[in-house]
Amino acid sequence: MPLSLSDPTWYPIASSEDLPFRHVYQGQLLGRELAVWRADDGNVNVWENRCLHRGVRLSIGINEGQELKCQYHGWRYANQSAGCTYIPAHPADAPARRIENRKYPVKEAFGLIWSAANDDQKFAPFAGAESTDWFPLRPMPVNAAPEDVLAGLARLAPDDQPADLLPGMALRLGTTVYFVQPVDAGRSVIRGLIEKPADEVATLRHYNETLTKLRDRLERAAAKKPAPEPLQPVFEKVSADLASMPDIAIPRGNTMPVVVKRKWQSADGVIGFELADRDGKHLPTFQPGAHIDVHLPNGLIRQYSITNGPGDLSSYVIGVKQESASKGGSKVLVETVREGDVLAISEPRNNFPLRRDATRTVLIAGGIGITPLLSMARFLDKSSLNYELHYFARTGDGLAFQSELAALHGKVDRHIGLAREAIKAKVAEVLGQYQFANHVYICGPGAMLEMVQETAASLGWPDDAIHFEYFQNDKVIDSSSAFDVELARSAMTLHVPAGKTILETMREAGLTVPSSCEQGACGTCLTTVMEGEVDHQDVYLNKTEKASNTCMMTCVSRAKSGRLVLDI
Amino acid sequence: MDCPDKPGNDDRYECPLMTITLYDFELSGNCYKLRLLMNILNLPYEIVPVDFFPGRQHKADWFLRMNPFGQLPVLKDDDLTLSDSGAILAYLAKKYDTSGKWFPDDPAVTAEVLRWHSVADDITSTSSAARLALGYGYAFDIEKSQKGAHRIFRLMDEHLWFGEKSGRDWLCSPAHPTTADIACFPYVMLSEEGGISRQDYPALRRWTDRVRRVPGFTVMSGIFPAGRAKE
Ligand SMILES: N[C@@H](CCC(=O)N[C@@H](CS)C(=O)NCC(=O)O)C(=O)O
Repeated sequence: MPLSLSDPTWYPIASSEDLPFRHVYQGQLLGRELAVWRADDGNVNVWENRCLHRGVRLSIGINEGQELKCQYHGWRYANQSAGCTYIPAHPADAPARRIENRKYPVKEAFGLIWSAANDDQKFAPFAGAESTDWFPLRPMPVNAAPEDVLAGLARLAPDDQPADLLPGMALRLGTTVYFVQPVDAGRSVIRGLIEKPADEVATLRHYNETLTKLRDRLERAAAKKPAPEPLQPVFEKVSADLASMPDIAIPRGNTMPVVVKRKWQSADGVIGFELADRDGKHLPTFQPGAHIDVHLPNGLIRQYSITNGPGDLSSYVIGVKQESASKGGSKVLVETVREGDVLAISEPRNNFPLRRDATRTVLIAGGIGITPLLSMARFLDKSSLNYELHYFARTGDGLAFQSELAALHGKVDRHIGLAREAIKAKVAEVLGQYQFANHVYICGPGAMLEMVQETAASLGWPDDAIHFEYFQNDKVIDSSSAFDVELARSAMTLHVPAGKTILETMREAGLTVPSSCEQGACGTCLTTVMEGEVDHQDVYLNKTEKASNTCMMTCVSRAKSGRLVLDI
Repeated sequence: MDCPDKPGNDDRYECPLMTITLYDFELSGNCYKLRLLMNILNLPYEIVPVDFFPGRQHKADWFLRMNPFGQLPVLKDDDLTLSDSGAILAYLAKKYDTSGKWFPDDPAVTAEVLRWHSVADDITSTSSAARLALGYGYAFDIEKSQKGAHRIFRLMDEHLWFGEKSGRDWLCSPAHPTTADIACFPYVMLSEEGGISRQDYPALRRWTDRVRRVPGFTVMSGIFPAGRAKE
């Protein structure tokens, strides 16, 4: 029977011991080349062996523990999801979430790594698999057609005890089970399992000798036949457009259910929540600095940063501030949501991307602002990039995620109980005069963010080196103006009356426009301005961006002129 | 010749005594073996570039006077002129490696190392020949060279696989790398440029990770660094 690219059978493609940590194994199944790697958390990834960028083999890439980095242009892909997390040519942007490497199903069992061309069949162990403590033989690659190799193995059986054929190119010879991995039409690997022998090396050598002789016989026979046509799998690169495009915002309402796996007191005033898929599948790819919307039982939506490190997609961990005077956001999470409850969250979104091409990265956290910066520190840490994390808190008891911080190798300084002026002096000291390719990331209370931005600016730091994320917009929004908006692409003009936002006005006119926090903090409703003067009231855009008058947040900002033309 | 350590045109700077000169072609794996060992041993040396391709300077009279065989690399140490990468690896290790590990004195181990130096020459005449034929227009028999390389890689993979089983990470029996590993490494790593895939040799591929993690390791064009090992 000729091999088929869509054969759904599970075949062994490697031995477990072929995958030490920080190694990328090169494999092939049914013509498709595979890059196979074990992450530091033990998870095995079986991916198409091509970087989506230029088609360079990922098997020559670097296994950084939780991400795989392509050797040529440094594109990075996350453990589990194979989602692209970083494109060096666009260091300031979060890559589009659709850039995801092709992955194949994987199962590690009986000392072997198994995979299949598609998900059509569930993995089922071979008959009798569970009864024995299996020991894998040295794999034997053979340049011969898989069906010929299977027939050759069957001929190893003594006349009085014929081989027992098993489904999926496998057979049992006495107590030994052999599998033929169909590499390609004319190439195979023999993989065998035996019971754990007394003298391992001698037994392995014995089998290796037998299989070497079989290989030589099979290859001599194959050389006499015309070589079969190799299988022709197709491989698609991502378009240059998608690769250079920053991530698009996802409209509100696109949610997925997660279960609260763990809820704990991370520090005085900080509750940790671990959110996982209900069926134990991995969650979507995120980048350092990303947040999720959490839909609360009382109908509110709040943003929380993901604290996880690279490729850690088994669950998301967020930190929630326990506020006494909370207006019903965090309060609901803290007081009513319990372990085992199901919540709806959005896919991760990143308005706070981390550049990984800085010569120096300074992370400054105030209180609960530690959450996105912890994620950034973990990414930088795994890649051995230079960083320092400064964590300001009122009290020592208020320091959250202490064990996670202790696991970092970089410089982590905790600054406790400093008064406002002392914080300012400390920030000035750690920032120092701006130098080329330095970047600072700040997250914390509004007043602190403004102070750090001012301090950095006074030390010569340009706007594009100062990155910040507000949790909320504390400013009082002035919605007293009335003006017209012309929507260039939709060819309509709407009147925005006092007391109503541009966003609301557009929705009433039947347009679907993405938004999330609706208080000018999250960046989701960012819109290009073509004409008119904007009355910026958000905390998302930086000063330069605001002054450029080319973009705005339609959820809170308005017009100073009588008319605005938007690219919607 | 300029002293490579000399910063700018600072005349007050005194050049440390430089004795070693490598006649080098940057894209040659055999020259790279010596750069690799000298980097690992932290030995300062000067480079005289020889235009092997397309200039064929290794067949010029001035070069043939140093090495009548007309092959790179050549290394000069003071008045001594040496050729053949394996011989030079042994010389450098015996003379400059104070740890005594790279070319051990033990007679049995010396024999083991030399055995692999000889395999390294076979790798040059197969894997490197295929690369020269494909990339540099040399008239070698490509298919024969590729077949020859596969035959060696199969044996190396088997040797290294059983090595891993018995706790041996390197080509020779000591618990550390030797010049044997350096001699065999470059044209294993460059084999893809000769159309020779290493997919069928997982143990050989793991060994190349280990070599690339040796402290002092340095790259050449076509050979990439490995990531850090897990702590
Ligand atoms: N056994 C020699 C082989 C050297 C060798 O093949 N050198 C190549 C360059 S990498 C060369 O010069 N080839 C030209 C020739 O043999 O004519 C060694 O290891 O140094």
